[in-house]
Amino acid sequence: MTDANPTGPPVIAGQVSESAPPAAESRTKTAGPMVVEVTNAASRGSAKEPLAGRRTVTIDPVTRIEGHARVFLDLADDGSLISAGLVVNELRGFERILVGMEADRMPLITARICGVCPSAHHLAASKAIEAAAGVTPPPAAKLLRELLYMGHYIHSHSLSLFVLQGPDLILGLDADPAIRNVVGVVEAAPEVAKKALRLRTLGQKINEMVGGRGVHPVTSLAGGIAFRLDEEKKRILTDWVEEALALGPELIGVARDKLLQQVEAHPELLRDWVVPAWNMGTVNDGKASLYDGTLRVMDEVGTVRDEFQAADYDRHLVESVLDWSYMKPVHYRETGSGEERLYRVGALARINCVDSMGTPVADQLLAGFRRDFGRPAHQVVLHAYARIIELIYAVERAREILADPRIDGETRAEVRFTGGRGVAHVEAPRGTLIHDYRIDERGIITSANLIVATQQNYACINQSITQAAMSHVIGRADDGLLNAIEFAIRCYDPCLSCATHALGQMPLEVLVRQAGQPVRSVRREV
Amino acid sequence: MNAARKIGLNLEWLSDCGGCHVAIVDVHEKILDILGAVQIQHCPVLTDIKDYPHADIGIVSGAIRTEHDRHVAQEMRASCDKVIAWGTCAIYGGIPGAALAHSREEILQAVYTRNPTTRTNEAPHSQVALLEKQVIPLDEVIGVDMYLPGCPPHAAFIFDALLALVEGRAPKARQETVCARCTRSMKKSEETRLKSNHDGIPDPDLCLLSQGYVCLGSVTLDRCLSPCPSQGVMCTGCAGPTMQILTEPNRDLRTEVADRMSRLTAIPREEIVASMERSGKSHYAYAMASKMVGEKPTFLIRKWIAEVEEEA
Repeated sequence: MTDANPTGPPVIAGQVSESAPPAAESRTKTAGPMVVEVTNAASRGSAKEPLAGRRTVTIDPVTRIEGHARVFLDLADDGSLISAGLVVNELRGFERILVGMEADRMPLITARICGVCPSAHHLAASKAIEAAAGVTPPPAAKLLRELLYMGHYIHSHSLSLFVLQGPDLILGLDADPAIRNVVGVVEAAPEVAKKALRLRTLGQKINEMVGGRGVHPVTSLAGGIAFRLDEEKKRILTDWVEEALALGPELIGVARDKLLQQVEAHPELLRDWVVPAWNMGTVNDGKASLYDGTLRVMDEVGTVRDEFQAADYDRHLVESVLDWSYMKPVHYRETGSGEERLYRVGALARINCVDSMGTPVADQLLAGFRRDFGRPAHQVVLHAYARIIELIYAVERAREILADPRIDGETRAEVRFTGGRGVAHVEAPRGTLIHDYRIDERGIITSANLIVATQQNYACINQSITQAAMSHVIGRADDGLLNAIEFAIRCYDPCLSCATHALGQMPLEVLVRQAGQPVRSVRREV
Repeated sequence: MNAARKIGLNLEWLSDCGGCHVAIVDVHEKILDILGAVQIQHCPVLTDIKDYPHADIGIVSGAIRTEHDRHVAQEMRASCDKVIAWGTCAIYGGIPGAALAHSREEILQAVYTRNPTTRTNEAPHSQVALLEKQVIPLDEVIGVDMYLPGCPPHAAFIFDALLALVEGRAPKARQETVCARCTRSMKKSEETRLKSNHDGIPDPDLCLLSQGYVCLGSVTLDRCLSPCPSQGVMCTGCAGPTMQILTEPNRDLRTEVADRMSRLTAIPREEIVASMERSGKSHYAYAMASKMVGEKPTFLIRKWIAEVEEEA
């Protein structure tokens, strides 16, 4: 029953039952192409609403993203697109879970919000409880935290570029889904894959040596870092950083070339996938800064509209609820007019916001990027390019930190909780992450609020889904191109674990509705 | 295919953080050996295979939080000959399981309707899977053949588990506690004060219990190689309790720790027990959703949490 009309509205091709499972013959035991099903519901339509036909497109789940989700496309009677969105289908409720716990556990407990960016939560929580206690950690502790974090960035951006997006870039958007994965990449480009995995490994090893563990680091606590760096560890870390520096240029060249090849093969990516949004990222004296700094907001034409400290986030950022998703989108509220603006966070937003990266190779790359795409850039495929620039920045910055003599100093400051509120942020790999706690005089959490990266990109992601559906799905029947919707989502490297602190998982399914009614949710099952 | 048949592997993650999957990649170079011996099929974070092909082995991380999680767990059971509960959340509920003391409504209020930065006043109600009443460990919903706790399990345990599957043998399931690999020495001290994580700088050679820090290393299974006490941080029990504590109704985290610590210090046993009950939500966070912990007759976590919140 796989059937599609490539040009016009869906054809009348069969019958549909609201409760029936999707056609068994359209599924295979092994990996098959995603299915575009065209079904006719005319026999069930109400007399008032004559139906030309109904079309059900299913991508279930969205894959190679961090978590579970599905996409819905809402079609009008004539088959045109009304709206589209990402449904995030998991909720854990950390805002409630954390209340009643000991504040000094937050760096350990909140790492468990996300196994993909645990270091971001580990550090944001450390900084927030320090803010509540009015404590500043010693310089060595700040440097060690940033070093840990650069390791994490190297790991996370490598994973995103080479493992999650890599299959699209190296094998092509329309490659056979059975091989369109990291194993396929290893087979198609074994040398590149090996080096890319090595770069990720080096990042994670740096993260682990400084953080005590790779996934869910443990050494950052209220007042600083639990250990002092000895010469032996410093030597090993330096070796790893030098190895990463040596791997960097080749891998970065490959990633950039592959990205540009895909863009050439699919010119609509640069032309149509444009979301003119505001940008938010962290700067320190105008330079890139991932561990600490001032939040800068830039509008869609490149004017800096605001700079503020994380402690004031609740005056500027406003969440709202979509009744169909556990993830809450966030908008930037303009001072004065109170108008709410669409904005993005993450690598592309940061690249747009900063005046410079502050390290030599990354600044060269940034100059090339701006020459080719301008400032600010709004093409969502360029998120990957921005990640490439940040990847080399992280390696260069790690070298600077290891060469800084202050890293050998005291790593702990004394902390006492006397009751108060603490807000702090870091730039997580996927965007600004804010932790906000109220702590009582016993040192117990009495309220917790979290703004994570992916929810701030949510409104942009939904626009990109619409654009991808328009350019690659609506009116076409090529199964391979359904991957384009997923690719658009992957550009943001969305992390639904974070998103489901209040969200958790993210495979994806597409549900098509018509005239406001769900036509049918098709899950492809064996 | 002429080569030896590859072992089919399906992977899923339910209500968790994804860290147990990242931890698999953290076997680093050895991942290529494993990839050579297995056929990764359904694995949403890595492959584009959307359905659940038949597999020899299924790896499931995460607990059951929503009706969707339950459905996915059942799909995995139906498609896989053997199912491994992978990581602390799948086995004991993990940190999401610390929602045990709260109703679904309380959680939805905290996130949506009474949230300080959320301007709307409703919770999501269409298209999303309903929350189960509580967070449920995997084996209360589907049959589980093997368990690998850890938050996440250290790569050494993961590699052994995967290699064991490839070689068709049982993994080395050691029963040691976190203390086994901790280099600190347990010595009798005159310490009189219970301390928090941030309280002072611990002596690098002396057992944390001897110094007044409530370290859970002695009651926690080692699936981590003891990074926390080795780095000067108390063990918080993330791999879940030891078999003794799980299986014996009269043994419990707080009684075992208090027995040991009161012998090592000058702090009275009752004071330690009372303190651990007051901090019950932190100490029992990882395993409270498991019936093996939650149904112990003396385990009154809801009461302890309510008392702490009332005092606030």
